[in-house]
Amino acid sequence: MFDLLNIAIDSAISSGAKYSDARILVSKSRNIAAKNGEVENFNESEKIGLGIRALVGSSWGFYSTYDLSRESLISSGKKAFEIAKASAVVSGKETPFADVPVVQDEYTTPHEENPFKVSSTEQIDLLVNSTEQMKKLGTSRSSGRLDFWDTEKWFCSSQGHEIFQNIIESGGGISSLSVGDGETQIRSYPQSFGEYRTGGWEVIKSFEFGKHTQRLAEESQRLLVAPQCPEGVMDLILEGSQLALQIHESVGHAIELDRILGWEAAYAGTSHLELDKLNKHRYGSELMNIVADATLPGALATFKYDDEGTPAQRVEIVKEGIWTGVLSGRDSAAIAGVKPGGMVRADGFSRLPMVRMTNVGLLPGESSLEEIIESTDNGIYMETNRSWSIDDLRLNFQFGCEAGWVVKNGKIIDMVKNPTYTGITPEFWGNMDMLANENEWVFWGTPNCGKGQPSQIGHTGHPASPARFKNTRIGVRG
Amino acid sequence: MLGDLQKQIPNSVECELKMMHSKSALTRFANSHIHQNVDEESADVFLTIHKDGKTISRSKNITGIKSSKEFVKEALDSLDESPKDTTWAGLTSKSESYEGFQELHEANPEERANLVRDFVKEGEDMNAAGYCSTYLNNFFIWNTNGLNSSDTSSSAFIDGIFRTDTSAGSSHRGAVNINNLDASQTGKEAAKLAVDSQNPIDIDPGKYEVILGHEAVSTILVFLSVYGLNAKSKIDGMSPILLNENQFDEKINLIDTPEDSESIGFKIDASGAKKYNLEIIKNGVPSTYFHTRRTSKELNMENTHHEFFGVDDYFGGIGTNLNLDKGNVSHSDMISSVKKGIYINEFWYCRVLDPITQVVTGLNRNGSFLIENGKITKPIGRLRFTQSFIKSLSPGNVISVGDKSRYADSEFGEGMLKVPKLHLKEFNFTGGVSG
Repeated sequence: MFDLLNIAIDSAISSGAKYSDARILVSKSRNIAAKNGEVENFNESEKIGLGIRALVGSSWGFYSTYDLSRESLISSGKKAFEIAKASAVVSGKETPFADVPVVQDEYTTPHEENPFKVSSTEQIDLLVNSTEQMKKLGTSRSSGRLDFWDTEKWFCSSQGHEIFQNIIESGGGISSLSVGDGETQIRSYPQSFGEYRTGGWEVIKSFEFGKHTQRLAEESQRLLVAPQCPEGVMDLILEGSQLALQIHESVGHAIELDRILGWEAAYAGTSHLELDKLNKHRYGSELMNIVADATLPGALATFKYDDEGTPAQRVEIVKEGIWTGVLSGRDSAAIAGVKPGGMVRADGFSRLPMVRMTNVGLLPGESSLEEIIESTDNGIYMETNRSWSIDDLRLNFQFGCEAGWVVKNGKIIDMVKNPTYTGITPEFWGNMDMLANENEWVFWGTPNCGKGQPSQIGHTGHPASPARFKNTRIGVRG
Repeated sequence: MLGDLQKQIPNSVECELKMMHSKSALTRFANSHIHQNVDEESADVFLTIHKDGKTISRSKNITGIKSSKEFVKEALDSLDESPKDTTWAGLTSKSESYEGFQELHEANPEERANLVRDFVKEGEDMNAAGYCSTYLNNFFIWNTNGLNSSDTSSSAFIDGIFRTDTSAGSSHRGAVNINNLDASQTGKEAAKLAVDSQNPIDIDPGKYEVILGHEAVSTILVFLSVYGLNAKSKIDGMSPILLNENQFDEKINLIDTPEDSESIGFKIDASGAKKYNLEIIKNGVPSTYFHTRRTSKELNMENTHHEFFGVDDYFGGIGTNLNLDKGNVSHSDMISSVKKGIYINEFWYCRVLDPITQVVTGLNRNGSFLIENGKITKPIGRLRFTQSFIKSLSPGNVISVGDKSRYADSEFGEGMLKVPKLHLKEFNFTGGVSG
């Protein structure tokens, strides 16, 4: 494969590109969905192809194809160059490109059982049984899904990189939906839309769906008759997976350097962060320590090299509440004057690599969830995301959760439905005053992060443990 | 390749073979210059085999298919392991065959770059960002009922914003052919909104009369389409749509128009059946859901042929050529009829809080203004709304419908909706800049 890649790269360079790199991917996926004890979807797919990019002046040119013949590879390199060159009609300053070590290496995701070698019958049975159990317990619609990805990726650059990686990802989840009089209530496990990690079939086995079906069915029905979440300003306690999404939306996207530089302005938006405030801006309370760590074993965004050949690394993003780092690639880092962070990835061979969150997580604190609840006089504990919305500066957000519990005088006293909370990013994080410890720290994964044009879906990780936020506006309704 | 694959299919099975060949390209600009320029060619094959109540689906791109015989054999071997498929609704009949393939040529990067230049020129003092994209898709489908359908679809879009230090303005155009895009006009509209939006004031949240621009209207309708009119939502007990009831204002007339020559997208659905123009909401009364073969069988309703290519068929039906009938009120007449209200060009990051009530939260961006005593008086900052989209179009809440219609971008993408502006009596804003 490296020989094929170098044919395309040589073609781009000999055409006049300043730099070129290319990837060949063999991407396999298996997707299973079940509803009410029956399989709703079972699909396997495989795609093989090449994506090559060329840097000319101020623009990247990118071309992708399924055709790996020699003629096509030569033509692809030329096209990448010509596409970039066409950008000269509306050109800007030449794009700089930071150096990283040139390596020849390979990496395979550590895993116990390749999910594609496990019988699909066993995987289907797990979902059928779980959803059947919840249906029998009275849920209106029980559903479950499993997704597996096996991606073999060969990467070469005009500087001499030759890297092979085999990334294996597994995930899924189950949920119980109950329909009442003009409303629906849902409970999901391990989190809404499922939990995803790097690893094999053992990831799914660790979820132990069977131990959670009864709780999900009961809670979704109980929510139908539960009172509405109260409105007001009070303490908010977030369960880990909801906090993970809070990190994703209000920190992860805001620290993407391509957004800060305006490259995503028309679609995904920009950021409230400005580079001249790096190492000065207070992002949150002193309990807030965020790192982007692509080396965490088993987390969803763990790899050895990104799609520019930069080594995976651990980058400090927020230290004791002060903003200290960004998510960067070789071009954006060179412009901003920071070290390339190894955070550029593409959604398949046919997409241009772009800045992507790795495992952007909140380091654990010293409390436990139990202690947090015990020390809360008046608040709501919220679990599992149901809706999310944030402005294009990543400042003004509103989240809804599946279930809430009223906490009074240190005790959970009542379940409430339709819990929501809203806030402004730095104020909200500034109000974090308790954080659970490493015993409750989970490597939550988000497999559906949309960004870029053409649209790309990214897989990101967000380690988090439960936390408390003082004086939060809760219970916004339409 | 489809011919080779067909030869491998045994007579004892029901089988559907699809191939999608696509050329797509997108020229992206930011900070007023082109920074990313991409071009892609893909060819994907989708195989579905049904036998003895079981179904197997496999897809590969053509490079992944080492031999037609092996590809089909792998699927047949896996069929035994497959679970029972209780909602199988059969294959499209031979009589639905449609021949729409055309030899078209894709646009080149210079053509896209020229449109970007035309857009950027309209606001040279400001920071421009956006894209120009072109698509050419060829779809072929064969099945063991003898159906042989094909179609070709082309489309092009220009979309962008201008930014100042305190504001932004956006606009968008879509067409079947890149030559029909007016990038200068699109740029002019975006530039004017950005200039006029400078130094916005904050206003208190609350219930306001609103005039919604094309993009904002498009987002309301795409939510109703995907979450409400999709028959799968009805089956799952999550659709808010009530057929044959006066659920919407009588000024709301929604039509699916795949047969129109200017409509973007295929004239056949993913099952290979010809699509027809169809009334979806007439004078405020919904008359049908969007169906696939499976949903029409399960609900015992007529198939409307809205099986969508690119998502698994269990997702349900999606309308992709929706046209909200325009009315007869001009933009200026809409503004002059408002005593106190808000103009919103575009919604952003909208999410459903509850599917049955269609309460959605989101924000405004790229051009929002306070209207007082019939005039736009001040630009306004960010507001968060929490509003039922069903109620926003309910009887009595639609004051007027704009007299100009165009393809608009939406939360779920472009090219699906052609809409006018709408003037609504009440819209609920629940938060401002301070949260």
